[in-house]
Amino acid sequence: MPITYAAVKALSAQLYDWSLRKVPDDTKAGLEAALARETQEGARQILRMMLGSARRAEQDERFVCSDAGVPVYHVTIGTAAQLDGDIKQAIGDGFDELVERISPPLLKHVTNPLTNERGYKGKDMPLITWDVAGGADWVEILCQPKALGSGRWAALETFSFPTLAQIEEYVMKVVMQAGSQHCPPVIIGVGIGGSLDVAAKIASNATMRPVGSTNPEPVLAAMEERLLRAVNATGFGPMGTGGDTTALAVHVDYAAGHGYTPVAVCFNCWINRRTRARLHADGSVERFE
Amino acid sequence: MSASDDRRAEAPEATSTEGLNRMRSMRFPMSPADARSLRAGDVILVEGEIVITAGLPTHLRLLDCAERNAAPPIAIAGGSLLHLGSYSRDTADGGLEVLYMNPTTSTRFNALMPRLIRHYGLTAVGGKGGLDAGCVAAMQEVGCVYLSFLGGGAPLHTAAIRAVKEVAWNDLVAHYRLVRLGVEGLGPLTVGIDAHGNSLFQSLQAGAAARMPEILARLAQDREGAGA
Repeated sequence: MPITYAAVKALSAQLYDWSLRKVPDDTKAGLEAALARETQEGARQILRMMLGSARRAEQDERFVCSDAGVPVYHVTIGTAAQLDGDIKQAIGDGFDELVERISPPLLKHVTNPLTNERGYKGKDMPLITWDVAGGADWVEILCQPKALGSGRWAALETFSFPTLAQIEEYVMKVVMQAGSQHCPPVIIGVGIGGSLDVAAKIASNATMRPVGSTNPEPVLAAMEERLLRAVNATGFGPMGTGGDTTALAVHVDYAAGHGYTPVAVCFNCWINRRTRARLHADGSVERFE
Repeated sequence: MSASDDRRAEAPEATSTEGLNRMRSMRFPMSPADARSLRAGDVILVEGEIVITAGLPTHLRLLDCAERNAAPPIAIAGGSLLHLGSYSRDTADGGLEVLYMNPTTSTRFNALMPRLIRHYGLTAVGGKGGLDAGCVAAMQEVGCVYLSFLGGGAPLHTAAIRAVKEVAWNDLVAHYRLVRLGVEGLGPLTVGIDAHGNSLFQSLQAGAAARMPEILARLAQDREGAGA
């Protein structure tokens, strides 16, 4: 059974809608764990408010944040999946239809970068990246709306044969630039190597890994652990007003490159919007988060 | 259940803590003396009236009013201007409603805030992430505090709205409009910058910068331990 335009359109809209009203379970667990460790009372109060806000949004199906961001989708197409229709068009049409019917309505956040005019539509919007999964007969769609609050602080620098020390110092430099401003505690993605675009993509993908998961590569797992400790030693804390919890997780990945080594660092704010589901060949929808 | 009860329910453990004991309810608009009675790190609940916007064009229009000595469509002199975005719309019965509101990044207004704070004698500004040293100086002169809101707190902040009093500059997208609201128990909000020149944001940045050599040394030690 082919995966249709209609199925992709409907799922794209649903994923966006769901992402606005629920903080992922792994992220809520991360906030709970941070609350148990946090030593500063002001920070503990803010963490409790975060958990309260997440609970209220989920119970009452409200938006966690007024800024719904812009639609960002990551699509993985199984090489054995049969497609019926223009699924790229379906994702755009799904967002357009959502804008028409969603309650409460979305604010206009899609911005023309040349004029700063804002609306619901714009060039190359939704922002979609594509990947393939060998042999799979499904299509997986991950929706991760992005906004200025944490998106503004992403940065990339290209080094030549950097040491691990240089890479880690750069991560800390970007953390210092963001300071109190990215709605901490954040999830930090670090992408090392490849090329300019690949490093940025790796960093962005790294933020999608669930909070609390362990990197399967021991070298990276150790790097993530020491960087998380370093970031939390800065003391910016929840909402940047002080505390032990500036990040919930640091996720690092890399690609081989040529010796010029781009290092990309990006942030997701504490609500860590992310939903993911798979459309199967039998027509079923498997929702992961 | 009132909005403030709602938020206490979200923070049940806080009722017996030092943090909550320090929490004060402040009637808005505040006098400069009220603002000066607050200290960075205090936690407050806001009762009364606030004026909000998340728009750069809105700030530019307010500056234009200041330059022309014209009254803005919503009076903000001696009051608050908070960096909160909201979805406002007309209701069927001719009234106004705000469906949700939440803070936005304040530092993007750094260049404009000192003039606005001084000209309008603002006693409270706020949003998330703080403001820079130029703003801190203006706030100290005038008697004005910066209130840090929970980002991603739309369900809690919106529950504190009791009345939508005025919405102006409706030609702008909803979150850029100037909106005057009646609120009850809005918060808890952290005083991020007080009217005495103290900024949590500046002191945390300075503290982190001072500790950075030690933080990097620990990273190096951990790398060695991991054999990296």
